[in-house]
Amino acid sequence: MKSFWKPIRLALAVSLMAAHVPAAIAATPNDQLVIGTSLVQVLSLDPQQGVDAKTIEILTNTYDRLVYTDNQNGNVIAPQLAEKWDVTEDSITFHLREAKFASGNPVTAKDVVFSLVRLMKLDQASAANFKTAGYSAANIESMVSAPDDRTFRIQFPKTVTPDALLYRMSMGVASVVDSVEVQKHVNNGDYGNEWLRTNTAGSGPFTLRRWTPNDLVMLEANKDYWQGVPTLRRVIMRHVPESQAARLMLERGDIDIANALSASDIGYFQNKDGFVIDRVQTGGFYVLSMNAGRKELADPLVRKAIANSIDYAGIEKTIVGAYGRARNVPVPVDWAGAIKNPDWGFHPEEAKKMLAEAGYPNGFDLTLKVVSQAPRVDMATAIQANLAEVGIRVTIQQGNGADIVAAHRARDFDLLIPQTSAYMPTALGALDNFAYNPDNSAEAKNAGNFVWRSAWDIPEISKLRDEANAERDATRRQALVTEIQEKFIAAGPAVLPMFERFEPIALNKRVIGYSGHPMGMTRVNKITKSDAQ
Amino acid sequence: MQEFNLKELGKRAIQLLVSLFVLLTVTFVIGRVLPADPVGAIVGELADPAAFEAMRQRLGLDLPLYQQFFLYIKALLHGDLGTAILTGNPVMQDLSTAFPATLELATLAVIISTVVGVPLGMAAAIFRDTLIDRIARVLSLVGHSIPVFWFGIVGLVIFYAGLSWVGGPGRVDTYLEGLVEPKTGLLLIDSLLAGDTEVFWSAVNHIILPACILAYSAMAYITRMTRSFTLEQLNQDYVVAARAKGASSSRIVIGHILPNIAVQLITVLAISYGSLLEGAVVTEIVFSWPGIGQYMTNALMIGDMNAVVAGTLVIGLIFMVLNFLADLAYVLLDPRTREAS
Repeated sequence: MKSFWKPIRLALAVSLMAAHVPAAIAATPNDQLVIGTSLVQVLSLDPQQGVDAKTIEILTNTYDRLVYTDNQNGNVIAPQLAEKWDVTEDSITFHLREAKFASGNPVTAKDVVFSLVRLMKLDQASAANFKTAGYSAANIESMVSAPDDRTFRIQFPKTVTPDALLYRMSMGVASVVDSVEVQKHVNNGDYGNEWLRTNTAGSGPFTLRRWTPNDLVMLEANKDYWQGVPTLRRVIMRHVPESQAARLMLERGDIDIANALSASDIGYFQNKDGFVIDRVQTGGFYVLSMNAGRKELADPLVRKAIANSIDYAGIEKTIVGAYGRARNVPVPVDWAGAIKNPDWGFHPEEAKKMLAEAGYPNGFDLTLKVVSQAPRVDMATAIQANLAEVGIRVTIQQGNGADIVAAHRARDFDLLIPQTSAYMPTALGALDNFAYNPDNSAEAKNAGNFVWRSAWDIPEISKLRDEANAERDATRRQALVTEIQEKFIAAGPAVLPMFERFEPIALNKRVIGYSGHPMGMTRVNKITKSDAQ
Repeated sequence: MQEFNLKELGKRAIQLLVSLFVLLTVTFVIGRVLPADPVGAIVGELADPAAFEAMRQRLGLDLPLYQQFFLYIKALLHGDLGTAILTGNPVMQDLSTAFPATLELATLAVIISTVVGVPLGMAAAIFRDTLIDRIARVLSLVGHSIPVFWFGIVGLVIFYAGLSWVGGPGRVDTYLEGLVEPKTGLLLIDSLLAGDTEVFWSAVNHIILPACILAYSAMAYITRMTRSFTLEQLNQDYVVAARAKGASSSRIVIGHILPNIAVQLITVLAISYGSLLEGAVVTEIVFSWPGIGQYMTNALMIGDMNAVVAGTLVIGLIFMVLNFLADLAYVLLDPRTREAS
């Protein structure tokens, strides 16, 4: 027996020694920022193609736009590649600063023309916001011009205000690409898409050093950046799909920021020393979509009854937490032009009365479809319990993102909990998912539109929205925006905002100067890391 | 005899091709019937129907299923596995970066599980119903019944977050990423080739925990099987005879029992290695390990069928090759099969 134990003891000692190789360094180096995230949706780094939030964050740092939305200053439009701009009746003229692409080529107005033409000609989902403004693959070349290298001009289509166009020019899809460099890689008339999917050709503070899908994205400082050398030498986004693993890495100091944590892991860092939670306002909402194509839900009174059966405050406190804030008006409460919230909440007696008046004293049955993901699943359960109190019996059907979105697009649901985001940080940007449905017919197949998906016919509100979008006078526009919100509430919305949506991210306190951007366009070139832990 | 071998080889090759074709067909059909929609993943939720339709056409998803299949086979015969939607790269290129990560992990895991599992299983059989046997049985029961996911997280909590003995998720410390040019794709080897010991130790640090956790679940199986093979042998007459002749315990075990169970053991090890190589999805996700399991899971999620079908083919091929090698090992190790052929 003795002789048997000897080798085992030896093996144990050896394996312990092997396990105890030099331990990992506890903190990331001061000149590198490591972000733990999910890279599953990063499919293309072509700025005129990629639309996913994490992709936008990468593009924000590898490219410049003519202007940007300053989230630290009330979301106003501020200069980036353009030093200044003049707005006239029919166009905006941008005056470009002197800047260089990472390749060394100068940034010229021709590059801006090239980028926008490229956006419309590639004609992907990324072009949607420019299409709604009236630009198309057919007209873009006649709408943009470069009178000289430092001057870029863009004409207005009829339906867009200067503000709305400027916000569009600040989006990731309007990133200025190095036309000289991209044209070297054009293949079969693809505008260099094949190459630009996996390479960067921008003038931003960082360049792409390496991208391994579902593993990591490594950005390296652009030392010639016109705003000065970035404080960080390197930014690494690491794919950490498992939230608990990301939590341990953040705690250990192996990552500085975790932006794809589960609700419980966010909760863990909420009151923990050495860490802060940054709630990034998205301008979007968690929504209860009701299918107005269903008999009961077609009645505004029934929809109002439902709106008055939900305990928003309670759900905010127990479930939504860092993810949101109760609000039924589809404009964030602190954005310019937002109206006061209606007095909706858990009022079962009132709601029952409304239901009786609508002809449903004994309630009815509905299904509620939801993506099986925090916090939406828990919201669904709470709503189910709330509605049961007024006699509406709800069956919850969970599914993955693709299933639920497909059902939503096909109008195949009674109730469904989607989430929205604002395409620009203004009242009109936030309202767009809620107050516009130009053609409610099934044949219109306008499946990209949330109101159409709910089969909610709102010709009057849609018309007001068009007017507001084309109104150049700020006072008159504000009056229209107020009217839209009031009419929206009065109509008993089938696309019912419940909570303003925030994206909580957890940061190591050492990280100084990270300011989450509502459009996902967070710049990291001025971030520093303190040594004090 | 030569003739017979050629015939046998040909038969095997045909078997292999037929199996691969069946595998391909089944995967393809299941993949296309699944509700996962790659178009939505590419064009985004808010895209208008025209953009949807355009992308559907570009991917060839508007064609009838049999035509899609035909086109796929045609491309495959030209050595083209298609382009992955997820990455935009040729699938072959993706697999050639994802697979080495899995290979490295699985190989280390199978070595650890063999080195620990085989002796433990034999000891358990020899010292049947003693403390060592009970420990071995409990260890293998636990390893078999507790999900790897749990071990992964608990392992990280204890050895990474708590004791700081090992590195965290990922293949190497983040600040060392990209320092070593991939030659084989096996980081442990590449870093040694480049002479970069810092990267090497960091890679060891990062691989040791996931490898041990994978090894533990494989070990559970190997230990149990070794124990039962050994028990079977212990009752054989030749063991009794050897004992009667006065051979020492170690001589009996190493000289007589081990060669007799070797053939069965090889099969068990080949199966373990094969299933480790197909990508331990859960372990790879917990440890952010960019291997084939994670690659295929992500591809499956968005319905990226080129990636899924090609990955399945590669895994199928590996299984078949391992099987073939195991068969070959029989011939070398078992005198009866050697003489029969």
